[in-house]
Amino acid sequence: MNVLYGLLEPDDGEIIIDGSPRTFANPREAMAAGIGMVHQHFMLVDVFTVTENLMLGREGGPVLNPGAARKRVQELSSRYGMPVEPDALVEDLPVGVQQRVEILKALANDARFLVFDEPTAVLTPQEIDDLMRVMQSLRDEGKGIVFITHKLREVRAIADRITVMRRGAIVGQAQPHSSEADLAELMVGRAVDLRVGKAPAHPAGTRLAVRDLRVANSAGGIVVDGLSFDVAGGEILCVAGVQGNGQSELADALLGNIAPLSGEILMDGVSLAKASPHATITAGMGFVPEDRETDGFVASFSIAENLILNRSTDAEFATGLALNWGAIRDNAEARKEEFDIRAQSVSDPISSLSGGNKQKVILARELSRPLAVLVASQPTRGVDVGAIEFLHKRIVAERDQGTAVLLVSTELDEVEALADRVLVMYRGTLVGIVPPDTPREVLGLMMAGVPFEEATKVEAATPTKEDFHG
Amino acid sequence: MKKSLIGSGLVAAMLLAGCATPPPAATSTPAASGAQSNFLACMVSDEGGFDDKSFNETSYKGLKDAEKQLGIKVDELQSKTVADYAGNVQKMVERKCNIIVTVGFALGDATAASAKANPDVDYAIVDYSYKEPEKNVKGLTFNTAEPSFLAGYLAASLSKTGVVGTYGGANYPTVTIFMDGYAQGVAHYNKQKGASVKVVGWDRASKTGSFIPGNQFSDVAGGKQLATNLVAQGADVILPVAGPASEGGLQVAAESQGKVSSLWVDSDGFLSMPKYAAVIPSSVGKGMDAAVLEAIKESKEKTFTNKAYVGTLANGGAYLAPFHDWDSKVSAETKSEIEQMKKDIEAGTLKVEA
Amino acid sequence: MAEAATSQVWRERGRTAAITAGSIVLALLAGAVLMVVSDPDVITQYAYLFTAPALPLGATWAKVSNAYGALLLGAIGSPNALAETAWQAAPLICAGLGVGLGFRAGLFNIGAQGQAIWGSIAAAYLGFTLHLPPVIHVIVAVIGGLIAGAIWGGIVGFLKARTGAHEVIVTIMLNYVALQALSWLLSTPAFLRPGRVDPIAPVIAETAAFPILFRQLNVGFFVALAAAGAVWWLLDRSTLGFAIRAVGANPAAAGTAGMNVPNVTIITMALSGLLCGLAGVQYALGPGADLVATPLSIGLVGTVGFDAITVALLGRSKPLGTVFAGLLFGGLHAGGLAMQSIAQTPLTLSTVLQALIVLFVAAPALVGALLPKVKAPATTSLVGGEA
Repeated sequence: MNVLYGLLEPDDGEIIIDGSPRTFANPREAMAAGIGMVHQHFMLVDVFTVTENLMLGREGGPVLNPGAARKRVQELSSRYGMPVEPDALVEDLPVGVQQRVEILKALANDARFLVFDEPTAVLTPQEIDDLMRVMQSLRDEGKGIVFITHKLREVRAIADRITVMRRGAIVGQAQPHSSEADLAELMVGRAVDLRVGKAPAHPAGTRLAVRDLRVANSAGGIVVDGLSFDVAGGEILCVAGVQGNGQSELADALLGNIAPLSGEILMDGVSLAKASPHATITAGMGFVPEDRETDGFVASFSIAENLILNRSTDAEFATGLALNWGAIRDNAEARKEEFDIRAQSVSDPISSLSGGNKQKVILARELSRPLAVLVASQPTRGVDVGAIEFLHKRIVAERDQGTAVLLVSTELDEVEALADRVLVMYRGTLVGIVPPDTPREVLGLMMAGVPFEEATKVEAATPTKEDFHG
Repeated sequence: MKKSLIGSGLVAAMLLAGCATPPPAATSTPAASGAQSNFLACMVSDEGGFDDKSFNETSYKGLKDAEKQLGIKVDELQSKTVADYAGNVQKMVERKCNIIVTVGFALGDATAASAKANPDVDYAIVDYSYKEPEKNVKGLTFNTAEPSFLAGYLAASLSKTGVVGTYGGANYPTVTIFMDGYAQGVAHYNKQKGASVKVVGWDRASKTGSFIPGNQFSDVAGGKQLATNLVAQGADVILPVAGPASEGGLQVAAESQGKVSSLWVDSDGFLSMPKYAAVIPSSVGKGMDAAVLEAIKESKEKTFTNKAYVGTLANGGAYLAPFHDWDSKVSAETKSEIEQMKKDIEAGTLKVEA
Repeated sequence: MAEAATSQVWRERGRTAAITAGSIVLALLAGAVLMVVSDPDVITQYAYLFTAPALPLGATWAKVSNAYGALLLGAIGSPNALAETAWQAAPLICAGLGVGLGFRAGLFNIGAQGQAIWGSIAAAYLGFTLHLPPVIHVIVAVIGGLIAGAIWGGIVGFLKARTGAHEVIVTIMLNYVALQALSWLLSTPAFLRPGRVDPIAPVIAETAAFPILFRQLNVGFFVALAAAGAVWWLLDRSTLGFAIRAVGANPAAAGTAGMNVPNVTIITMALSGLLCGLAGVQYALGPGADLVATPLSIGLVGTVGFDAITVALLGRSKPLGTVFAGLLFGGLHAGGLAMQSIAQTPLTLSTVLQALIVLFVAAPALVGALLPKVKAPATTSLVGGEA
């Protein structure tokens, strides 16, 4: 899709619009041809207002005309039913509204074709509903929409036609009424078991205890506010919530990357509130970071090197100051085999792997030593369906060995598949801890901050609507 | 595509310029100005290089003068770093130079070592003299305190504010000798005229003054800053002694709309800095070119000794340059007094401490 | 893990080598053009390009071949030239290793100059004040210089790690401080040569100088090679090097993996300073053309701190690459001195050649465009489209 938008040049082949072949050297040319893009990571300038963001790239001469641009924002937002305050700073807006700005930006360029790249990852279920409605109204206005997602449920709910891609090639077409299992099989190339074969949990004693934890982000805002919970050995506690409600900082505080303002973290009774990441890791915490590419591995390092990234000074891999390359390579070969890491050689840089295989490397690193607690954030984000299946199975297996697993996820599918209990977070506070079979609508309301009892009532009172997520 | 652009540009240039008829072959002999002698005089610069608009450049002029006037061959090497000095002197030995002139005290060690190893070659070193020189090394030094004394007297007579200033490139003896003579000249003026003209930028008693941070003789902006400070303290005549960075003083004078004037050192600023000619009352000249020429001449004529050359008012190796455009602004009285002091200094009746 | 590198990695290395070679060729060509354009005797011959092409082309050939012949002769043309090249290269290699080590940890150490100055101050001071037996004296002086450089670099690492001060700003400022300190020290009785008033220190004791092997070739060159070997081991074979590379490539991931990023920063800056200090030691203790070490003065280390940046860039921050880059620039400098004496070409030209080489290396797509046979590395394919 980056080719489509002119960010990359194609090596071969052509793009045909209205019957004529086109090539785009840059996004400007793509825009001129009527292609608009809604990126997964929004291409907005945070400190600009909505109107200013809309003017970006289309300043139209040396003199800006904010008045006209402002009018255009209002006109577009009312026409497509996307309320936006034109003078608000983008950084002050909720994620769902920021996405609206991104869509408006494309529409302001008179886009006839809109490409949505994984647009739902950052949204609450309710916001996803809104987005679906917007997409439908755009379609009814005569716009062509390409919706790129790995969430089968959303595909089936909105699509008129489905094209399945695997490793850069089209592997098939499907109809919206195809079953999820059929779609998954097309995507992976083999039959996939979407349900994790998970035995009931046998929780033993508490291994991770968090008490009144308060954490500030780098800007000084309190993002985890008085959180308390326990995780038992042999249990998966899922932390559900919309992205940006304090889950990332909670995970970072558990690792020791951020020092909590107050509160206590106990792992097997030992306090970790003031421990460094090194101490936490040594004490037996496995950590799968939320942002794999930034925090999970060193892209230029080989697979073998990444597999010992947090254990390079262990006696197993080093004698004094000297690294033991033989042991490092043997370890890498063993992990490659065990975790089915698809790579030519363990000496290849990890950046040459697919997202799923990168994540397998990280999980292999974390699970290849005895753990007391595993903290895994978004372990399957951006990972293909086949790898998700494998990663889920490994996490459950780790649970069954008696490790306490804390899984942070914004995807309700994942929460439903893995959780033994679900902790819902909203603005740094605990909304409630509920069983995994809680209805999605209730979870959705809780993720918006509505307490469990109230959410159950509201959900019961609301008439059934077009259902995209249940 | 780039290549073809460059190519077409070249072709165009050649079409325009490449059709001249070559001169007859006979004229292809080099411009033979002399070179009757096989005597080879060589020079090694310090890290400033021969284009430093300062003592390397003036010394180099002496070498070129020798080439023309004595009909000899010359060769020169620039040094990029201090570590190059010894190697460059050595290269000159290998080129079989008859005399090797080195520029600056920093080459003192390398020059002495090479002289000791090569007793058949003559050496001269600008701005430095040895206590116990080798038989074949001549130090070329300049008692610039003498003309600076006259410059100080001149400055005091020109000052309307009763304050004159000076700054240096670094607190080196070859720099402070100017400042010291200058201050003595001002004191002499005060004594003669019962005036009380003040000197800022140099204190004779404590040997401290205004110097460019980091000893950067190339730092014109730093020189300008110091000159601005001096003007802020009331000075309206400035003597900058900072090599290329002396230009900072000229800039301040040029921007003062006639309120401030700036002297120049080493060469006649009226000639070497024509852009600023209007603000230069006079210059304290240091005849390094004359000294170099003299040393080469001695070597060629086999009258070379290791006795250090000292440029003075008397032998013209140190001088106060003409007033040029300022001739009308300097009173006849001052002119005659300066003329008299020059005679007294030459005669030894007026002492200037160096 | 070089031994198991796949063909893709080797292809990439081949391209890198080709780019470097291409850069050198292009720089020499550009240098030749400069020589011709700046020489009125040659350029006037171009008026006869069509009427008598032999004149301008002959003059050009004579000029260029004479100059580059002298360059080659001065750099590698004789045992003496080789010795001088090695002597010139030794400090460049040391400081290049220091700057390169910083690069590997993501630190832009512009302070090699100040660190080298302190290395030279300490080594020279220990060299002219102490009276020790031969081997011991030189070792003591070297260690003194290493420590001085390491402290000067370590200060930067400490300020960055503990206060977040940017190393580029801090190192630039500390360069000034080091220069001022040297200039002040040279005015104090402790450093001033007895009987002298100009800022020059005494000559170091013969026992403190690097032993001479052949002319300017002294033990210092082999110390530089040993330093390169040590840096290679550090980066490729040690746990500390692993941490340095991880912090350099991705500090967030290194921190998440439990590495102490601030400590690695401090240690790396100290080691970088130590290597730059060693460059200063080379100047202070390495005998020059007159077979004695140059005494400490303001410009003793020249511009090694800045040349080191280009050496590290050309050497791609790899120890072996840095050795070759140091030798190349050392040869250019040695040859440049010969070029001005034999071919009357300004010394500036060798500096211009250095700059051009690094310029071309930094813009691989340009080399690819000018020399179609040389493919730009894949990593820059966005701009190198047509090659």
